Amino acid sequence: MNTLEAKVSKIESIDGVSIVSFVTLDVELRMMSLGLNTPIEVGSEVLLGVKASSIALVKNLHGILSISNQLQCRIDSFEEGSLLWSVKLLFGEFRLESIVTKSSAVKMGLKRGDEVVALIKSSELSILEVKAKG
Amino acid sequence: MIDINIEKTLQGSSKDMQLSINLQIQEQEFVAISGKSGSGKTTLLRVLAGLESAKGTISVFGKRWLDGHHTLAVQKRQIGFVFQDYALFENMSVEQNLLYVAQDKELARHLLELTELSSMAQRLPARLSGGQKQRVSLCRALMKRPKLLLMDEPFSALDPSMRLKLQHDILRLHKEFATTTLFVTHDPSEIYKLAQRVVVLEDGKMIQDGSPKDVLLKTKGSQKFSLQGEILEIYKADVIYVAVVAIGQQIVEVVLDGHEAQSFIVGQGVQVSTKAFAPTLSALG
Repeated sequence: MNTLEAKVSKIESIDGVSIVSFVTLDVELRMMSLGLNTPIEVGSEVLLGVKASSIALVKNLHGILSISNQLQCRIDSFEEGSLLWSVKLLFGEFRLESIVTKSSAVKMGLKRGDEVVALIKSSELSILEVKAKG
Repeated sequence: MIDINIEKTLQGSSKDMQLSINLQIQEQEFVAISGKSGSGKTTLLRVLAGLESAKGTISVFGKRWLDGHHTLAVQKRQIGFVFQDYALFENMSVEQNLLYVAQDKELARHLLELTELSSMAQRLPARLSGGQKQRVSLCRALMKRPKLLLMDEPFSALDPSMRLKLQHDILRLHKEFATTTLFVTHDPSEIYKLAQRVVVLEDGKMIQDGSPKDVLLKTKGSQKFSLQGEILEIYKADVIYVAVVAIGQQIVEVVLDGHEAQSFIVGQGVQVSTKAFAPTLSALG
């Protein structure tokens, strides 16, 4: 599980559905959630989690995407499998891993040092732990 | 209000256990008592019924049932009790079983009607199915119009479809009679359907007390879909890892990254969780 330390910047809730916004390394992240039984408030420091298979990669991003979370990353290394590639990314101080198909990786011409954007849908992001209250 | 404040030393198979209960129940409330076997659930019910002694106090709607050395006799407690075994009088018809408790033909007729047993009023228990017997037990427990209804795993010997019918009857009877009820069960779906409140016992102590949703919904952070399991195997597939996890009677697979794969070992107890958005439902075929 990839983890990111972030601070809660906004909480919007209606009928038990919540959108929580976070800030990490000056980037805004958003999480869609059903109910919020973790005791968070604006200012809380949390550990966010996202599965490696839920991170998509994009190069030369243009156009408008519905995906809330877009992290500017640099490719640090690869583990190349026969069908899948594990791409190790650096997002500032955080290390992330993305699992993509080999064919996508080859098509994108991914190589070490490339700048890519990691895309995470807000429904794929979760709070793993509340580190400090706001 | 029912105010229970009791202590009792129970002799366990390995060591003695202290049953220590401080519980307040509102009139008309339907409370499920849950917990592992040997946690003291049945003993609590038996103490309330007056079938076992305990130290402390029990007061029920202003009346003292237990107060130091004074104990109110079982027959004066106005309790209805439904056990796992039906305990019906085999030589009496269904109707006679009910009338034996209280000579109120009108109430007996009404209860049998509510539980759709009217056509069986003259049958002997031997000619009833397990589920029908248990419904008769339930009706009989209500014949005295008890202040408190105690049920100790009344469904555990029944098949699933019969359970549903009996759950339905219990809900209907609770709606009509509004009898304050304490109900011992292990089954989360039963608790969720029937109870307004659930108290979980462990080693004789109350460890949780809340609404069924708050107590039963196991979550990890913002992850709403959470089950407990045990890792049976972790294997590598291409560049990813797969953990095979046993959850109850089922085996599931969870994809892990390399870092996660290193942090778990086979045999470890784990919580399998995902956000409420990811799982999909399909009808059983």
